[in-house]
Amino acid sequence: MAQKKIKKNGFHPKIVAFACNWCSYAGADNAGVNRIQYSPHFRVIRTMCSGRVKPGFILKAFQLGADGVLVSGCHFGDCHYIFGNERAVELFEKTKKMIRLLGLEEKRLRLEWISAAEGTRWGQIIDEFVDEVTQLGPSPLVSEKTK
Amino acid sequence: MMDAGRHPNIELLTLSEVTRVDGGAGDFLITVRRHPRGVFEDLCTGCGDCAQACPVVVPNEFDLGLGARKAIYSPFSQAVPNVYVIDCQNCLNGDFIVCENCSRQCERDAIDYDMTPEDVVLQVGSIIVATGLDVFDPYLMKTYGYSLSPNILTGLEFERLLNASGPTKGHVIRPTDGKIPKKIAFVQCVGARGENDCLYCSRFCCMNSVKDAMLAKDHEPDVEEITIFYSDIRASGKGYEELYNRSRQFPYIKYFRGKPSKIIEEPGTRDLILYVEDTLTGKPERIRADLVVLASAGRPPGGTERLAKVLGIKLNSDGYFQNRGEDGQFLSSTREGIYLCGCARGPEDIPDSVAQGTGAAAEAGKHLAEDRLPEVEEEIPQISTDGPPRIGVFLCHCGINIAGVLDIDHLQEYAKNIPHVVHVQDDLFLCSDGGQKEIQKMIVEKGLNRVVAAACTPRTHEPIFRESCARVGFNPYLFEMVNVRDQCSWVHSLEPDFANQKAHDLLRMACARAQWLQPLRVKKIGMQPETLVIGGGMAGIQSTLDLKAQGFTVHLVEKEKGLGGRLRDLHRLYPEGRLARELLQEKLGQLKASGVNVLTKTEVTDVKGYVGNFEVITTKGTFKVGSIILAAGADVYRPQREYGYGKMSNVLTNLELEGILARQESEIKIKGQGVKRVAFIQCVGSRDPEKNPACSRFCCPTTVKQAIALREKGVDVAVFYRDMRMVGHGAEEMYQKVRGMGVLFIRVPDAEKPKILGKKLAQGVEAFDSMLGEKVEVEVDAVVLAAGMVPREPDMTRLQEMLKVPRSPDRFFMERHPKLGPVETTTEGIFLAGCIQGPKDLADTMAQAAAAAGKATTLVCKETIALEPTVCEVDEMLCRGCGKCVAICQFNAPELVERSPGIFVSKINEALCKGCGTCAAWCPTEAISAKHFTDRQITSMIESLFQEVA
Ligand SMILES: Cc1cc2nc3c(=O)[nH]c(=O)nc-3n(C[C@H](O)[C@H](O)[C@H](O)COP(=O)(O)OP(=O)(O)OC[C@H]3O[C@@H](n4cnc5c(N)ncnc54)[C@H](O)[C@@H]3O)c2cc1C
Ligand code: SF4
Ligand code: SF4
Ligand code: FES
Repeated sequence: MAQKKIKKNGFHPKIVAFACNWCSYAGADNAGVNRIQYSPHFRVIRTMCSGRVKPGFILKAFQLGADGVLVSGCHFGDCHYIFGNERAVELFEKTKKMIRLLGLEEKRLRLEWISAAEGTRWGQIIDEFVDEVTQLGPSPLVSEKTK
Repeated sequence: MMDAGRHPNIELLTLSEVTRVDGGAGDFLITVRRHPRGVFEDLCTGCGDCAQACPVVVPNEFDLGLGARKAIYSPFSQAVPNVYVIDCQNCLNGDFIVCENCSRQCERDAIDYDMTPEDVVLQVGSIIVATGLDVFDPYLMKTYGYSLSPNILTGLEFERLLNASGPTKGHVIRPTDGKIPKKIAFVQCVGARGENDCLYCSRFCCMNSVKDAMLAKDHEPDVEEITIFYSDIRASGKGYEELYNRSRQFPYIKYFRGKPSKIIEEPGTRDLILYVEDTLTGKPERIRADLVVLASAGRPPGGTERLAKVLGIKLNSDGYFQNRGEDGQFLSSTREGIYLCGCARGPEDIPDSVAQGTGAAAEAGKHLAEDRLPEVEEEIPQISTDGPPRIGVFLCHCGINIAGVLDIDHLQEYAKNIPHVVHVQDDLFLCSDGGQKEIQKMIVEKGLNRVVAAACTPRTHEPIFRESCARVGFNPYLFEMVNVRDQCSWVHSLEPDFANQKAHDLLRMACARAQWLQPLRVKKIGMQPETLVIGGGMAGIQSTLDLKAQGFTVHLVEKEKGLGGRLRDLHRLYPEGRLARELLQEKLGQLKASGVNVLTKTEVTDVKGYVGNFEVITTKGTFKVGSIILAAGADVYRPQREYGYGKMSNVLTNLELEGILARQESEIKIKGQGVKRVAFIQCVGSRDPEKNPACSRFCCPTTVKQAIALREKGVDVAVFYRDMRMVGHGAEEMYQKVRGMGVLFIRVPDAEKPKILGKKLAQGVEAFDSMLGEKVEVEVDAVVLAAGMVPREPDMTRLQEMLKVPRSPDRFFMERHPKLGPVETTTEGIFLAGCIQGPKDLADTMAQAAAAAGKATTLVCKETIALEPTVCEVDEMLCRGCGKCVAICQFNAPELVERSPGIFVSKINEALCKGCGTCAAWCPTEAISAKHFTDRQITSMIESLFQEVA
């Protein structure tokens, strides 16, 4: 498992993680069944498919103060709705461009495919992402607001 | 698995064995011995506290001994039912020692050490055997030293290494030193194809190794070289050849034709040395590897013989259950009313096993037609949920699973301050009967109109809670769940402060969402009880017979004069050697006796409507049906002047040879000329990266079948091949037979095609023999091209236009999911049977046909179908008719309709919509709302996350 790096001045990021019902949410449950321990600094929002996650949701999260957003779904070929995840990629790429315009680092937005059996991987990805966002520090949008 | 576990008409008897069968088809009495579990299934919640308390550690058989488990354990993390079991062999508790650690720990008192075996008697109409297979244990093979070196694994063991939830968490390591292996060797056909008393080819191992080789590099980029030692790579299944081709493009994967004669572990380094002759060069080589994976073949599982005796059915020469293929009943055992599917019949891959499973269920249904369980439904008066939200929050302790990490008292206090929350309550086990009754009571007593439960995962428990809400007339879609166990207390137990903070946030978010939930109602639409089958080949005939046998009305539409399709052109069928014509006559006889409506010389011209209510317009009238089965078959590839076809009169296709063989003359004649020497050329129109990369699967066994027929008439035969892909039951055995008959097999390289010699007539074939390493020339009187299968045009295009069923990259019709829905299409109510979905032999065609009939049955047996209300809806006021949703949707649910002249709006058909919500994400005007996952509901969660309660 990824080694946890030292947190910057006790900063814990706020991360929103969208997870599709059939694979990645199930993968997160699988991590639980296997009692895998990983970072708690994220909050899951369940959707039926990763294809449901529209740019508006992601932008809203960033505007309100999210330090990072994860979109997760089934591996290609496994989407319960066939190509929902491929559609998700297209929207994701668009959203990525938009957050750059907002002055956010691209690394704050991440897309991952996790299957229902990949509990360990779910934990690893969350750990990695939390570390990465912690390194980046609080979202520039948040510091602007609090200034 | 979860669906099966939850289905009201399915009773799962695990840890059980059938010990006796009385009676007969339609009325069996079976005795089942239930072995003691030591744990009450209805009490255990699968929390695992007992296992933590258990002091005994033993190797875990699910991880093939590579990991560890306790003496009380859950067999694997996704087990259904998710109930623990005591392993009596290893449990310490007994007459002399009192351990009882686990029962003391179990808050539910679910453990009973004194359970005894119990016999139950069940009355059933039919029996399906789905006992699968074991893999061959190479332990006894001296040559490969599997028992001597831990660095030699079986394919199944390697799979566990690759699994992220496996013993190494997905890392590929060498068992002796835990290092990442630089060089991995896969050895194919271990214990198969003539080795260790096993004649057959195990079918799944080639593709498994191809896939695992690619995955190994994915998991460990430090792996440098993966060599696959093979005899033939049998990539013959839909999409398999394409995957194989992809694997060949990676420089780190090497294919080595040859089978190691022995493998020895080098003392000291513990590396493995493979002694192998390269059959392509004839050179003996010594190859070093860090890790060896033996692609071990399938074997009938232990207890198969005993089960066969109990059931009174026969086994075949390979030791699997015998099917009645010679009668065209590939899923029937030798006893009426007992059916077979999957690897119980012999090794299969997943798509075929799933299709057979569905097919066997359809066959089994024939004996149950009269006992079909009616759907009972009680009307419960709905309670009003209008007015401002009144949220009730229920917090579950789940014993100590949640309460051990989360401070429930504090959470309770916290919940009281969340807006709209009017009631908060906790419970030791919310899902217990008592807990559910509390929810019901409070809904009524406190006038709740939203219920939020903070407990385990909605994936398993939401249906349970929804159901108890519905019982008191509370709309189940006003129930919301917070996952504070699987995704909180279980995974952050080392950081309880953060876990508590997270639980607060999640609960607040759920309550925010709850206030925006809307009551939804399940809608019912009528179901036309009839089915229409398009195509009257063997697939269409079988589907029709199966549906009719269950008492449903079927219409069979065939565009030609006669029924039978391809079978009319064939001589004898492999592997049984049955005359095709005879089998066809038999099936046609059954069809006639069944009295179904057969329409020959008829074509479908248009299809309207949707599941349950299709309107099919044909040249002989219009039919209203509930479901449609597509069985329009495939064409045989017509060579485009390749190999002199069309120019030289003695070059013909395999299909044309069938016609000649069917004449059954004592001497083989082509165009009146006697023929003494014939050469076959394989893969014509198949496995060609430009034209058609797929392997057609049936042509190798067909060539062998034809070669046998020719040899029996004294004709000399040579076969020019790339890999001999003898897929299917009995195929490998046939191959071994023909090799004993003096047929010349000449292996040619993929890139260098054989050449036909001669001007007007083919006189010889010249090719590079990759085994001899030189050019060879064979004189011939005729050449047979093993032509593959291609989609039937223009029929396919026309059907596609009418039905909007998508096609796979190989241009055959696409199944909903290769493994989960091999006979379904993306359109509800339209199913696939036979070669229309991809090339296959008769056994696979018939299994699929039965499966398609089974799927159609589950639809047309109902009077109405319930539509899940969590679908998408268009607000016509906002829609500007751009058609984005129509383009996005995979299920053809949205459609543009003309509201007023020239003004189009989208309308989503709730019978077709699956509720993924993808269209809602794309709609530029936010006109589409995804019910139960609306923009409002989701953004309210985001907003509340960043809005602490005062
Ligand atoms: C040369 C050769 C040898 C073979 N040998 C063997 C063997 O020995 N053993 C074995 O197991 N398998 C063998 N097979 C494979 C076997 O023939 C097929 O698996 C099987 O016949 C496929 O049946 P089907 O019903 O899917 O298709 P088909 O038999 O092709 O039937 C499709 C039917 O649909 C009709 N149709 C098409 N379009 C429409 C339309 N638009 N409307 C209405 N009707 C339509 C067609 O006219 C036809 O009657 C062989 C195949 C070939 C080509
Ligand atoms: S001849 Fe047919 S079955 Fe054999 S490898 Fe070629 S395409 Fe596949
Ligand atoms: S929700 Fe999915 S299935 Fe329904 S109409 Fe939209 S894209 Fe199609
Ligand atoms: S259902 Fe998981 S990505 Fe579509």
